[in-house]
Amino acid sequence: MGDTVRVEELLKRPLYVYDLPQELLATLSAKTANQSVAEPSTEDDPKDPEVAAQESAIATSTQCSLCKVSYHNVQEQRSHVRSDHHRYNLKSQLRGTAPLDEVQFAKAVGDLDESISGSESSESEEEYVDGSADTTLTALLKKQAKLSGASEEEDTIVKGTPKNPLFWLSSSSLPSNKSLGVYRAIFSPAEQDEPGHLVDTIQKKQLAPVKARPKNAQAQQDPTAAGPHIFMCMIGGGHFAAMLVSLAPEIHRKQGGVEERQARVIAHKTFHRYTTRRKQGGSQSASDASRGAAHSAGSSLRRYNEAALEKDIRELLADWKQMIDTSELLFIRATGKTNRKILFDKYEGQVLKQNDPRVRGFPFNTRRATQGELMRCFKELTRVKVSEVDEDALAAAAAAAAAKQKEKEESKPSTPRPQPQKPKISKEEEAAQLHTTQIQALIRRSKVPALMSYLSNNSIPSSFTFQPTDSQQNFRCPTPLHLAASLNAPAVVSALLTRANADPTATNNEGRAPFELTGDRPTRDAFRVARHELGESKWDWNTAKVPSAVSKADADKRNEQEQKSAETEEKNRRRADLERLKKEDAEREAQIAASKPGRTLGAVEKTAAEKRDEETRGMAPEMRMRLERERRARAAEERFRRMQGS
Amino acid sequence: MAVRAQFENSNEVGVFSRLTNSYAIVAVGGSENFYSVFESELQDIIPICHATIAGTRIVGRLTVGNKNGLLVPTTTTDQELQHLRNTLPDSVKIQRIEERLSALGNVICCNDHVAIVHPDLERETEEIIADVLGVEVFRQTVADNVLTGSYMSLSNQGGIVHPKTSVRDQDELSSLLQVPLVAGSVNRGSAVVGAGMVVNDWLAITGLDTTATELSVIESVFRLGEMAPGGAGAGVHKESIVESFY
Repeated sequence: MGDTVRVEELLKRPLYVYDLPQELLATLSAKTANQSVAEPSTEDDPKDPEVAAQESAIATSTQCSLCKVSYHNVQEQRSHVRSDHHRYNLKSQLRGTAPLDEVQFAKAVGDLDESISGSESSESEEEYVDGSADTTLTALLKKQAKLSGASEEEDTIVKGTPKNPLFWLSSSSLPSNKSLGVYRAIFSPAEQDEPGHLVDTIQKKQLAPVKARPKNAQAQQDPTAAGPHIFMCMIGGGHFAAMLVSLAPEIHRKQGGVEERQARVIAHKTFHRYTTRRKQGGSQSASDASRGAAHSAGSSLRRYNEAALEKDIRELLADWKQMIDTSELLFIRATGKTNRKILFDKYEGQVLKQNDPRVRGFPFNTRRATQGELMRCFKELTRVKVSEVDEDALAAAAAAAAAKQKEKEESKPSTPRPQPQKPKISKEEEAAQLHTTQIQALIRRSKVPALMSYLSNNSIPSSFTFQPTDSQQNFRCPTPLHLAASLNAPAVVSALLTRANADPTATNNEGRAPFELTGDRPTRDAFRVARHELGESKWDWNTAKVPSAVSKADADKRNEQEQKSAETEEKNRRRADLERLKKEDAEREAQIAASKPGRTLGAVEKTAAEKRDEETRGMAPEMRMRLERERRARAAEERFRRMQGS
Repeated sequence: MAVRAQFENSNEVGVFSRLTNSYAIVAVGGSENFYSVFESELQDIIPICHATIAGTRIVGRLTVGNKNGLLVPTTTTDQELQHLRNTLPDSVKIQRIEERLSALGNVICCNDHVAIVHPDLERETEEIIADVLGVEVFRQTVADNVLTGSYMSLSNQGGIVHPKTSVRDQDELSSLLQVPLVAGSVNRGSAVVGAGMVVNDWLAITGLDTTATELSVIESVFRLGEMAPGGAGAGVHKESIVESFY
């Protein structure tokens, strides 16, 4: 009984990595990486010790039934009660509407699209840094099952899940099913590489808490005397928050003599500028880059604000340069090109370097960049996670894994992995493939002289067939002549036949001669001319399906004739069309002349005033005035004339 | 210790008085009976102030305070404020609050460490409460009722909430406040426990109608009995009392 009380006492308060209780620290040991560990499930409430009779009566239900969430300790519960989410639910309950859970609330806030600057509630810039969201035991077990099922190389398991953001430790002063988790990110890369020395590293990192100074004395702090500290900053959606926080905790004496540790913030600053495009999302600069610069008032505002934000941030970083240079770690969240550019782009007096080994991201989800969010992240990073594993589930999982392993080992020798036997390619085949690509390219572009010289230079035989023979194209057109014929290239066909001595009787895999693949008359003529030139005895032209020979002159003459006849035909057609049009025009005019100009049915006669109105519509005022003046002058003249006439 | 009292035939003593660990405020009444109950219990321990707020006698409903400070509504006159300043100890900060919900005693319930307030209270008010009273402020409801000050009675030792508060809500509130809570009534079944009684760390005053059962619940949860820690029978005194029985 006394033992359990002691354990509960240890875990009652949130554990701070840099100030662990001495008895816990002395008994720490690193867990082997392939041990299963689950982060705390939502149900376990650390029970208050029964030190005083009074405390036993205090309920420990650290949950919120309204928002349907539960917390590990009172601090978290209290911060939840102060959050926007809880307040929203409280009010919606009073209104009689259903309360929202966390996700729904975040979505609702996103839909609102209001700038609640400085408020924690919006998750619009949620960032997914690492896959550490799975907290429940089941999720972890599932994941592990998947891992062991999928992974072929065993040594990744042995080496221990490099992606796990937490290092797990156990302590002899804690029950065996409890383990403590520490974020990997708070160690330097060198320390991360030696998980064996993890405990030593943690022991070295311990810092004595500092007594809180009175408020007035805190104003003039010597920044150099800050001790070990870290720098944290976040940018996103026009929000920027940065904080320098000391790792040594500060002890505040609260009412009732309760000592409370608090993080000591050395300096913090937040900015917000309107840079994100409302309802569209994305930054103005990104939109400009992809769509061209917009010329709206909003866009120029946002452009100005982006520049101003960059300036503000860089000035702040320059101010803090000394402290940033001395800080142990730099936690930075800046997703997107523009945000990273603000911090890491080359500029004069640059403070943060991308290749700095101290720079790291937050290994968990973060929300809108605010001071409160930074504080939450700091707490999350430096808090030791306490996880409790159900022993039975663990044993079951281990047994399942072992069984699977065994099964795999047994199955391995019986079914040797089929080596994908890649057929060895001979040198000749390789050369043939190269020629194929070259020749095909030349034929496609109808480069007759180049083709001829290529064939002669590489002394390619006339019986050359394309390689590899089983490709779809080469199935239909296995020879250059086939290809030329199917591409309707008469020049290439005649060159291949007459100069390269290509065989017109060769058939493709469908049993067709090149002539049968031709698509137009000139190509067919090229074959017939070749028959004429090479003579009947050269090839068996009937097998080649080439019709009777035609001399080049004949073919040309026929072409010319055809062209001429086509031209005359075209001319005739045009003339006929023109005549027809003329006739139609005349007819229409006659019809119009014949029909009397009548009024359209239902049209209302316009009054003079309306007509005048119509005339002046759309005119500039001065123009309208001039028109009016002229009209009056004309009227006056008319009157004079009438008077004189009468 | 828990005693019964009546203010001019009314049992709602929480309406006409305010009791904290460092001072008490009692309404000015026609008869001094009510005042004398306070005087007999608290004389020479803490100052007792006769006062009106905005000319009314419902001082318990209009004000809220703990040992660190006192908040009064904007309707309080300068004269009344000056009188309070003169009577109460110098360590007690007194502040007038501009708040639409002016019956501060109905919308705020606090001890020396935490305060449970009406959800619709303004942010500025919340900050003033935290500053002046030195408490952590939480917006909550008690049994789905926004008038936390009326339906809850709280001291540093414990608290009583509306009799229809669900067990789960009690647990949550208790965990939030870090004091034990019970659901109970005063004045023969009245649910308005905040207005029906006043309590500090060693004294509770309830209406005259309060039943013995109710009184025993109050004594046990606020630890006012003789055998409770801080009571006459606790700790070192216990032996001497036992001795005197022989």
